[in-house]
Amino acid sequence: MQYRPDAAELLDAVASLLEADVITSVPPHLQHQVRVAANLCRILERETQLAGTNDDAERVRLSLLLALIGNRDDTNGDDTNGDDTNGDDRDVRSLRADLVARLDDPAPLDAVVERSVREALLDTLRADLTIAKPGYAAPTGAP
Amino acid sequence: MSDVADPHDALCTWLRAQWQLDPGEHLHVELVGESTAGARRRNLVLEIAGGPRPGRYVATVLPTADIAIVGMADEATVRMVAREHGVPVPEVIGVCTDESVLGGQFFISEFIGGETIPRRLLRLVHEQGIGAKIVGQLGESFARLHAIDPAHAPAAISAPPDPVGGALDAVHTVIDNLLQPEPAFSYALRWLREHRPTEPEQRRIVHADVRTGNIIVDHSGLRSILDWETAKVGDPMEDLAWVCTRMWRFGEDHLTVGGLGTVDTLRDAYVAAGGAWDDHRYHWWRVLVTMRWGTGLAGQAAMHLDGRFSSVVMAASGRRVAEMAYDALMLIDAR
Repeated sequence: MQYRPDAAELLDAVASLLEADVITSVPPHLQHQVRVAANLCRILERETQLAGTNDDAERVRLSLLLALIGNRDDTNGDDTNGDDTNGDDRDVRSLRADLVARLDDPAPLDAVVERSVREALLDTLRADLTIAKPGYAAPTGAP
Repeated sequence: MSDVADPHDALCTWLRAQWQLDPGEHLHVELVGESTAGARRRNLVLEIAGGPRPGRYVATVLPTADIAIVGMADEATVRMVAREHGVPVPEVIGVCTDESVLGGQFFISEFIGGETIPRRLLRLVHEQGIGAKIVGQLGESFARLHAIDPAHAPAAISAPPDPVGGALDAVHTVIDNLLQPEPAFSYALRWLREHRPTEPEQRRIVHADVRTGNIIVDHSGLRSILDWETAKVGDPMEDLAWVCTRMWRFGEDHLTVGGLGTVDTLRDAYVAAGGAWDDHRYHWWRVLVTMRWGTGLAGQAAMHLDGRFSSVVMAASGRRVAEMAYDALMLIDAR
């Protein structure tokens, strides 16, 4: 285990340096890039703290969603997605790929699934945005 | 692009030939700055003394033809056509496709004073209380642009794929090639297919990138619409949707049209100037352009990662994809 500062604390230090000192010391055409670099440090600072929890929650959300889709498709006579498992322990990328494959399939989704997919995706995006851009998904953020 | 710190000699020679000046006739060109507008191209601010058109101008230089969306000569033609029909566009006084003069193809247009940098522009607009006025001017400008007979468009942009079907096919291709699966885009694409409008009855010249950041504003209102490199013949409602994309509001989210004003104001001005507004098409294009910009940001991240365009700004675009995906899904349920 590394000694303190931890990753988030180091990223905070780098971001502070970029924001306070470097940006005023570079030529104008580099200032935007420095500002972006500082913002990336802030994003990574939050990512070190939140990404694990977010990814775990997305994995559970996707597992449940795929199980629901499988059940509903079975009920509708389509058993091609019928792997009804709540114990899905695959990684997020693999689960995402499965959901993408089902969404790419033009076969209809029933209303319950449609609503559940949208809500689950929005929950994931809200969690992503707490890292990438806090406040963006606030209720006042009109699309 | 080659060094353009002193464009005097090469540009003077070129202008002399364009204007057919006598050898003894005075002509001086001085580089007085570089405009901040435009990310892909350089905009050199020039002071021209002598000749038939002395004054301040902007040379818009394309560093390499490889990144051209529309050729410089074609873009200049679209600008001139739009200007002739009452759209506020800086007058183009010359086009040069010889890359040896300024290190890349360029055109020269009149310099229009005012603000282009979004946050400064919005500060000016809100201090002056002219947001609604500018949105009205945008609506009127769109109506004038969309009223132009597309036969006036240069051949290079006059026969694109079907606007609706082509846009759907394009985003589908991009989604299939994302670096990682993004179900929010697949969900949005599914919705777009299910709610697909018919192809537009009338295809018109569209700018396709009018937004806060591509306009010049001063205390009197809208001065000019810039960056016509994405112009094409397409569905007019694409223009009206794109200007409303949340990214161009720069935090002024309650003012849907570029952080400047409301959709009602835009619609009223567009219709009053003869434009045909279609709510269904507007909403469909809002979802499409939002999602397309999200895939565009993903593409920028990919270009950084594979070395085509290594840049911290391009890398950071990957962390903005969630914004567009979120907005697209929220829009789907917003009607």
